[in-house]
Parts: sequence; C-alpha cells; structure tokens
Amino acid sequence: MKKRALALAISAAMAASMTTGVTVAAENTDFAGEELSILVSAGWMDNRYDATIERFEDEYGVTVDLQTIPADQYSDLLQSKLATDSCADIFWIQSNPFAIASVIVDPEKYCIDFTGASWEEKIPEARRAACTYDGKLYGLQMWHNSPEYVMLYNKTLFEENGWSVPTNYEELKSLCAEIQDTGITPWFMPGADGWQHQLTFFQIGGVYEEATPGLYDALNNNEATFADNEKMLEVLNEFKEFSDLGYFGEDWIGTDSTNMANEFGDRNCAMAVANSSFIKQIKEDTGTEDEFGLFLEPFGDNTWFPASPAGPTMFGYNGSEHPELVKEFFNFVTTTESLQEILDNSPAYTNIHVNDDAVEQHWLPEEEEFMASIPEEKMSVSVLQNGTKYTNDYWMDFGQDMVSFCQGEMEANDVLANMDTNRAEAAKTAGDPAWN
Amino acid sequence: MNKKKIYPQWFLLVPLALYILFFLLPAFMGVGYSFTDWNSRSVLNGLNFVGLQNYIEIFTSDKDYLSGIGHTLMFTVVSNIVKMIPALLIAIMLQEGLRGKGIYRTLFYLPSILPFVIIGLLFKSILNYNNGLLNMILDAFHLGFLKQKWLSDLGVVWKSVLGVDAWRGIGYVMTIFLAGLNTIPRSYYEAAQIDGASFWQRLRYVTIPMLTGAIMINMVFGITYGLKVFDIIYVLTNGGPGHATEVLTTYAFQLYSKGQYGMSTALSSILLLITAIAGVFVVRTLGKQEVQQ
Repeated sequence: MKKRALALAISAAMAASMTTGVTVAAENTDFAGEELSILVSAGWMDNRYDATIERFEDEYGVTVDLQTIPADQYSDLLQSKLATDSCADIFWIQSNPFAIASVIVDPEKYCIDFTGASWEEKIPEARRAACTYDGKLYGLQMWHNSPEYVMLYNKTLFEENGWSVPTNYEELKSLCAEIQDTGITPWFMPGADGWQHQLTFFQIGGVYEEATPGLYDALNNNEATFADNEKMLEVLNEFKEFSDLGYFGEDWIGTDSTNMANEFGDRNCAMAVANSSFIKQIKEDTGTEDEFGLFLEPFGDNTWFPASPAGPTMFGYNGSEHPELVKEFFNFVTTTESLQEILDNSPAYTNIHVNDDAVEQHWLPEEEEFMASIPEEKMSVSVLQNGTKYTNDYWMDFGQDMVSFCQGEMEANDVLANMDTNRAEAAKTAGDPAWN
Repeated sequence: MNKKKIYPQWFLLVPLALYILFFLLPAFMGVGYSFTDWNSRSVLNGLNFVGLQNYIEIFTSDKDYLSGIGHTLMFTVVSNIVKMIPALLIAIMLQEGLRGKGIYRTLFYLPSILPFVIIGLLFKSILNYNNGLLNMILDAFHLGFLKQKWLSDLGVVWKSVLGVDAWRGIGYVMTIFLAGLNTIPRSYYEAAQIDGASFWQRLRYVTIPMLTGAIMINMVFGITYGLKVFDIIYVLTNGGPGHATEVLTTYAFQLYSKGQYGMSTALSSILLLITAIAGVFVVRTLGKQEVQQ
C-alpha cells in the first residue's frame, strides 16, 4: 500500500512538473522563429548586451538582428528609416527632455506606448522626462550615472612630471605646452568620430548660464541666440587655439577614438574628454599600472559639473510586425538579472542608473573622489545640449562647423549663427509658438 | 505599318508602364514636392505650397549649398578625366597582346565589384595619418616628407577621394573600352602602320574615332555617376573635414534626415535638371560626331 501511495505521489509530482514545464515552454515559444531587429548607434549597446540578447534568443526561440551603425551616420539613417516607415522593431535615440518631440517628432505614430509597463518604476525620476511625451511612456533609458565627459588624465604621469591639475584656461594652456615638449600628445581629441570634439563646447553649459543668467530659458523662448554670445565665442576661440598649437595631436581631425584606450595605456596622450568609467576600460584593455583621475574641463574657466539626465534610450517601433515580442524584450532587459548582466559585461560602466537596489554597482574610487570635490551648487546646470531645445538635434552639424572653423573655412560667430538657423528651422518644423 | 519589325509595338507597354510608374512618376512627384514645405511634421500640419521658397533658400542660405553644387560639378569633370584616360591606355595595352592579359583584366576589374562600404573601411584605414598603411610604407622607404593627412587636410582630401574613386572605377571604364577596341578591324592598324603612322597617330586617327561609341557610353555613365555621387564620399569623409567634400547628394541626404523633405527634394530636383541637361548635351554632341564619321 505504502509503495502504491509512493508511486502515485511520484507520478503526480512528475505529471505536475511536466505540466509546469509545458506551460513555461508554451509561454516562451509563442514567438519561436520570429526575428527581432534592433537599430542602434555604435557605443550605445556594444558587447554588454550580448549575453542578455543570447539568453533572450534561447528563452524565446527567436533571433535578434542587431544593426549597429557608425555614430556619424546613425542619426541620418534613423530619420530616413522612420520617414520611410521601414524602421527596425527597436530603435535608439540620444534622448533628453526635448528629444522625443524634436527627434521622433510624432511618437504616437512611430513609438509603442509602454505606459503602465512593469519596468516603468525602474527608470529614475530624473530620467523619466527623456522617456515620456504627453504623459505617455515611450522610451527606456538605462544609462550610467557617472561623471560624463569630463577631463580624464593620467595621474601617475602628472605626478612623475610634477604637473598640477589645471583649474582655468591659462593653467591648462601652460600645462599643455609642457606636456607637448615631452613628446606626448597633451589632449587626445578624436575628431574623426564626428561627435566627440563638440563635447568640449557643450559640456560646460554652466559657464554660459553663469555669464548670462537666464540664458537657457531665453534660448528656449527664442529670446536669445548662440551668435554673438561672448562666452561661447571665447570657448570656440580657445578650442581653435589649441588646435592651431597642436595640443590635440598632429591630426586630431583625422583621428577616431578606436585607439584611445591604447593611447592612454602607452602614455602617448595625457588627457582626454571621457566618461569616468573609461578608466576601467583603459586598465582592462591595456593592463597599465598607471592611476587615472578626473577634473573639470577648464575651457571658458569652467567650474561647472556637466549634469545631464539624458542618454541613449530604447524605443519600440510602432510599425513593428512583432509588437508583443518587442514588449517582451523590454521586460526581459529590465529584470534584475539582465540589468546586473549588462552592467557586469560592460568595461566602460561602473554603475547603471535604475531603481533596483538588488543590482550591485561598481563605483570607482576616482569617481567618488571627483564627485566629492564638487560643490552641490555647481551641479545644478544641465549641459547645454540637453538644457536647450533643438540643440542636440544639430550636434553633428555643429561638429562639422567647428572643424571648418579650425581649418579657417568659417568664422567662430558663423558656427554659432548656423546653430541658430538650424534651431529656428527645427522649431518652425515643430510648430513651436516661440519661433512662429 | 512596318512589316519588317520583329516584335509588335505593344511589347513596349509593360516596360514603359514600369518605367513611368517607378522612374518618371517619382521624379515628377519629387519636383512637385520641391515647391512645398513638406517636412517631418506634415503628417500633423499638412502640406503647403510655398512656390520657389526652397530654391531661393538654396541659393541664398548661409549653409553654402552652392559649394555643394560646385563640388559635384568638379567631381564629375575630374573623376571622368582621371578614370577615362588611364582606362583607355590600359585597355589598349591589354588589347595589344600583353602576356597574362586575362589576369590583368580581372585584377583591374575587381575593385569595381567591391561594395562601397568595404572600400570605405579599407581606405579609411589605409589613409589614416598616424597608423595607416600608406604613411607607414612611405616612412619605411624614408619618404616621410611625402606623408599627408590624406582625409583631413583640405588641400589633399579631394585628391584622396578622387584617387580612391579612380581605383574603383578604372576597371569598369576599361572593360567598355576593351569591348569597343574589339570591334576595330586589325586591317585599319596594319594599313596605318604601312603608311608609317606612329602609336600616337594610330591612337589619334584610328582608335579614338572608332571608339566614339564606347567613349560616349563611358561619358554618359561617368557624368551621371559623377553628378549623383554619394556613396564614395559618404563612406570616406561623410562630407568632411568640416564641409570640404559636401556634394549635392550629401546635402540632400542631410536635409532629408532632418525632416526637411521639401528642401531635400528641391536639391534633388536641381540635380535632376543638371543631369538631364548634361546627358542630352553629351549624347547629342557625340551622336553628331558619330554621324559625321
């Protein structure tokens, strides 16, 4: 009797487990054989999503087609894809509080509405404005909260040569002259990327606002212009002076960032504008024993931290043939397991800015030291490109104009005036009442 | 009715319909759109007729679209010259019974079947100033003084683009010339040789006149390719450094990607007009010469 009862119990348990198994398999094979396409700019997903995507493919029996586009071509390509209704199932944009309206233009037409999704609460409050439009949730932003694009320098090299961290433009200029004399490139500037060199101008938005209080509001209300702004002209001219003096290297316009970590590791350069987490990448990629540090970019005698609740953001394409699979992907990448996996698989990340206490962050001591050195009030102004409307949309154009200016083909004020013209065009297209 | 015709005229209907539907109609629609304010917001705000505003903007804007038009015309002329002359000489050389000419023909033709993206990646790497193959070779042969910032120096970048374009295109032009050379009877050359004609005289008085057809084909292809050039510039310089290598199509692409479709189609319409004028001019001029001969 006992044996029969045991056999029955085991059989029941087996049947139950099989049923469970069948249920799970059925849930995950609903999408079997489908293909999910993702359109992304280089640097926004990199290899850190690979393991998570692989798990997603295994679990759902689908294929993920990751279309990574060079950064200087991405924006143009995405706009063409949206305009011709041929976008990938998931696409990314560099989002900020104004970007959905100005980049995607018609989110109701192009984006899947995720309002009420389980992962909504995982997006920190400060980042939600870059993911929502008209009260609806469209985007998912999972970006790091490290100091973004500040000056990264080789601390060991500085100590060995008795160099001090510069706090204003003149100190920076003298320092660069000293570094150049040693045969080292003072400031690695990857101009060929097309998107990096203009960071030097835009990341110090605080100095422009400080020089002209209320500038951001005035720019957003079409009551001020970039052109004739003295502080902006000063910064552009400082940039050109550095270019002319060769402080960015012999051919910064033709140099891209592919080799940047090695340049640091080999001590071929002393400084660069980079994310703080790039320190980790230099060490891992090159095995250097050198220590690295951070300081604020001194162009325009800047003392402001580049605050920026913005970053690459993922959107579901409304015209997708697999909207449910897209939703599953968003759910999948926001699980604690996936978030941890994405963070752990990224050499350039030390943290991921999400509301999930279960994720173990890896802050660097250099980051903590740098953040502690900046007064709270110097963190209150957003970077220029994310604090003013339509500015970030012309990022690449501004970069091209900066290169033309450095090569003597344009005047500094024309670079700024072009930004005004472009912003006005975008505002007119958007039907912005401040411009019409 | 001409009874000698092999095929009836209605055979033309299907290809003609397809041509009108997929080529002529979009072209005319594009011209039509160039007179509107068509933009990324038009789905919400509607489409409005703006007359010549887009064209006026192109010719008066600070954005220097005119230099883009100038660059396009310059590229068209120079790229044809740097491709056609070497291609003709190579074709004659290969026709003259060079040993292993089959291999040479293949080698010369090979670059023209490579995708532009591959060519872009390849040459961006080769032409890199700091660690590109070309400068490294120059250094290795103690020719460092010849090193250039091939893709970032304003004085050199167009030469680099034209050089890469010639590398890619010469084989294709050469193949058309080879086909033309094959149709010239050997007896013409033999007669010229008996008369004591030198190589250059044979080229001037026999080869080139007999190659008018091939030259015309190459010129029409070359001009239309040059006027609508996009790929090679996009993959090598993306219009840079700065705006130094912007052409009509890169500006049109940028405008389109910014949602300014009306402006973009206006630029494309200008390109259409230039291409049509150039095409008709070349065909008529060379056609007349052919008739005279």
